Amino acid sequence: MSNLTLGNVLQVLANGIFNGTAYALIGVAFGLILSVSGRFHIAFAVTYTLAAYVAAAIGFFLHLPFWLALLGGALAASLAGVLMERLVYLPLSLRAVGAGSDPLLVMFVASLGLSVIGRNAIALSTLSASSVNIVGFDNRGLNVGPVTITTLNIALFVTAWVLILALAAVLNYTALGRMVRAVRANWEMSLCVGIDPTLIFVVVFAIGSFLGGVAGVFQATLTSATPDLGLPPLFYALVVAFVAGLNSSPIRVGLLGLGLGLVEALSSLVLRTEFTPLVTFAILFFYVALRPVKFDDLRRALGRRRTPAATG
Amino acid sequence: MENLQLTLSYVDQVLIFVCFALSLNLLQGYTGQVSVAHAAFGAVGGYTLGYLVLNAHMGALEAMVIGTAGAAVVGGVVAFPALRLTTEWLILLTLAVQTIILSLVTTVSVLGGTYGLQNISGLTIFGHELANPSDMFPFFAVITVLVYLVCWRLGESPFGRVLRAIRDDEIACRSLGKNVFRYKTMVFAATAGMAGLAGAMQVINISVASPPLFAFDQSSTMVAMVVVGGAGSLPGSIIGVMVLVLLGPLFERVLNFGADAAALWRLVAFGVVLIVVLMVRPAGIYPDKTTRRLGKELDRLKKGPQGPSEFVPHPDLEEMKVIEDQLGSDEKTTVLPRAVGIVEANGNGRAANGARGDVVLSVKGLSKRFGGITAAENLDMVLRRGMITALVGPNGAGKTTVFNLLTGAIRPDAGEVLLGGEDIVGLTPDQVAVRGMARSFQNVRVFPRMSALENVMLGVQHQPGESFVPLFANIPRTQKVEREVEERSREWLSFVGMTDFADYAAGALAFGQQKLVALARVLATEAEVLLLDEPASGIDFQWVNVMLGLIEQIREQGRTVCIVEHNLHVVERLADHTYFMELGRITAQGSFAELTTDKRLAEAYFGTA
Repeated sequence: MSNLTLGNVLQVLANGIFNGTAYALIGVAFGLILSVSGRFHIAFAVTYTLAAYVAAAIGFFLHLPFWLALLGGALAASLAGVLMERLVYLPLSLRAVGAGSDPLLVMFVASLGLSVIGRNAIALSTLSASSVNIVGFDNRGLNVGPVTITTLNIALFVTAWVLILALAAVLNYTALGRMVRAVRANWEMSLCVGIDPTLIFVVVFAIGSFLGGVAGVFQATLTSATPDLGLPPLFYALVVAFVAGLNSSPIRVGLLGLGLGLVEALSSLVLRTEFTPLVTFAILFFYVALRPVKFDDLRRALGRRRTPAATG
Repeated sequence: MENLQLTLSYVDQVLIFVCFALSLNLLQGYTGQVSVAHAAFGAVGGYTLGYLVLNAHMGALEAMVIGTAGAAVVGGVVAFPALRLTTEWLILLTLAVQTIILSLVTTVSVLGGTYGLQNISGLTIFGHELANPSDMFPFFAVITVLVYLVCWRLGESPFGRVLRAIRDDEIACRSLGKNVFRYKTMVFAATAGMAGLAGAMQVINISVASPPLFAFDQSSTMVAMVVVGGAGSLPGSIIGVMVLVLLGPLFERVLNFGADAAALWRLVAFGVVLIVVLMVRPAGIYPDKTTRRLGKELDRLKKGPQGPSEFVPHPDLEEMKVIEDQLGSDEKTTVLPRAVGIVEANGNGRAANGARGDVVLSVKGLSKRFGGITAAENLDMVLRRGMITALVGPNGAGKTTVFNLLTGAIRPDAGEVLLGGEDIVGLTPDQVAVRGMARSFQNVRVFPRMSALENVMLGVQHQPGESFVPLFANIPRTQKVEREVEERSREWLSFVGMTDFADYAAGALAFGQQKLVALARVLATEAEVLLLDEPASGIDFQWVNVMLGLIEQIREQGRTVCIVEHNLHVVERLADHTYFMELGRITAQGSFAELTTDKRLAEAYFGTA
């Protein structure tokens, strides 16, 4: 629990904005994959972590600058995502339809398998080291009035929002974006107008995994890379993507992520820090729990009670 | 001796996870409710036991009972928001529950924080100390057998039949008078309770209650065990657990990997097994009954020409067609030799209590708007005993909406619906069905992964085996009634000419056959009022005749029938009274002949002669 001084509150808000930016990026990435392909891709956590490890390896072995390591890591994540789609999800989705199973559940369980394989394969490949660091970023603190922010915070903020806005622009103003939106709306119908949804699935896995990979590299630069790096962000990505709405624009999803970061940060002013994840998941719980309540029906029911009095 | 203890420690692990997996299977495989919070329910049981033993110095058995009850209560509470959710939202909700419970046990200091509760030792059961794996084995074995029996009784019984119907089609299940919410709540509570029990076993096993024991990856492992073994198959769950738990000793003891590497390789292998099983055997290593039966049928079909898609009419149907041919097209009376006896044998007592033509259902001023669209406006109509009433009109007129309003699927904004004098507005579809009004659906809605016979058995009302207490308290009676229900259902299947297909998965039947199964199912409810939504649509001429003959037989027995139908020949043949609907309003009514001679309707809808 923090002291309620103006400086503290501003610092907490700044922290919330930067955490929220990370949530925004992963929420947009996860939401794009789920909403377009229908894959409940929890192995997103693996591609997130893989990017961090690849970036660390590029920095350590090739001594390349941070931004190239970031690019390399994100591209590796992108490739891994595409391979998962082509080698596992797509063949399974075709079989699931034939077997009469719930495709979403099949994808979820397959993704679980991929997560377990990925996480432990990464752990096996770095058995001697419990964590690895990403080198090459000159992270310095900057004092802006009473608030301290870091160059890493700024780099994340700018990169994330540029990517989110770029994705929004691609979706809204390009032919590819129209195709992605068509598949998201109705993939069977998109076939009828000459779009191959399986290719679009590859595209969203490539983009989504890339964006997730960028977030993973930044996170590992801040802390360090461990095989479990991706699990907590996965949960946040789920919350952001679902609460924002799966058919929402990246900007809306991003803003919701930012909002979540702020709410979580502000809650730390009144709660002990270890309770802040509880706030996020309590929000999720109540959001999901209250979602089926038909507010429209409730309003109507209340209105109906008034009707006889008015007419009678 | 050391080897024995080691072997038994693996066996104990298997038993614990069997309890987790069996209970999750009941929820996921039978009822179709995915949960990634099962380990968290285990945490409730495990931590409760640990806390009570350490702080209240309670005995292991009492603490276990309280832990189990606590987990059941938490499960019951979670069930409420889960009642109306689809798979993705259910995963999300249970993920939130999993995270919240784990965050709580990790942050609450009396529960030991990150390290959890340690040294929960010195436990005894009936004076028998639980110190070594060999001490725990008999105790765990007894619990596992009990959990298996409870799950088997719940799953492989009329109760379980309702659960599987919920999994296959919740709306159709409610239309047969089953209170889906009650079933879901009970199953959530019961399975969470059993998970709590397994969690308590887990804590007894290692004398520690710590967060990693009950983390998200444990929950997801349980989901995987159920899927690998076979969703809806209890023996499958045991196989799933054995495969995945015994990968540990395989790598550590047989392949002699180091402890750290073995743990990681085990998990990699676990993931690979999971994906391979999904690819090769999507229904699991040992699938549920219907899938196994269907598999056998498909194997048989590969060797011979006959199969569910190549329908050979039942002898009754052949016979009927011959009779129809003999009667000629002008003769509209159809005779089904066996059917009369069956309808008489099964006829609802209420149907006989009243004269033909008495008003059974009366609708006054029924209205419903969706935003700016009027789906039903001030509808007045009556359904009379022993008569067939038809609702006709162009697409979008609101005919199916009327069925939805009458059966409680949609709540009207205004108006009253009197069934046998009782206002049923505000009742749920299952309450309406129990009161004697059942419906069929335009798109059939059979339970695809259940046999045709099970589909029909679900229609039979007042089965003691569908309730929790008699299921365990009066086993002989539930079994006797179950035999009667099966016999009656076979008669209904025979009535619609589907006897030979009783054991086929309904989803594997041709569309016309599914319609007949759905008709047998709605007849089996023995409801006084039957609402049949386009009974003759989407099926070929032969089936139309069969269907119409059956509906006429139902009328002859004094049941009240209302049909929504586009096929005017069907309406002409069946309807005693016809309502014409346009844009949510009834704009004309009378006999079919009267409506077709109305100049405006003839031009606008029926077509001029």
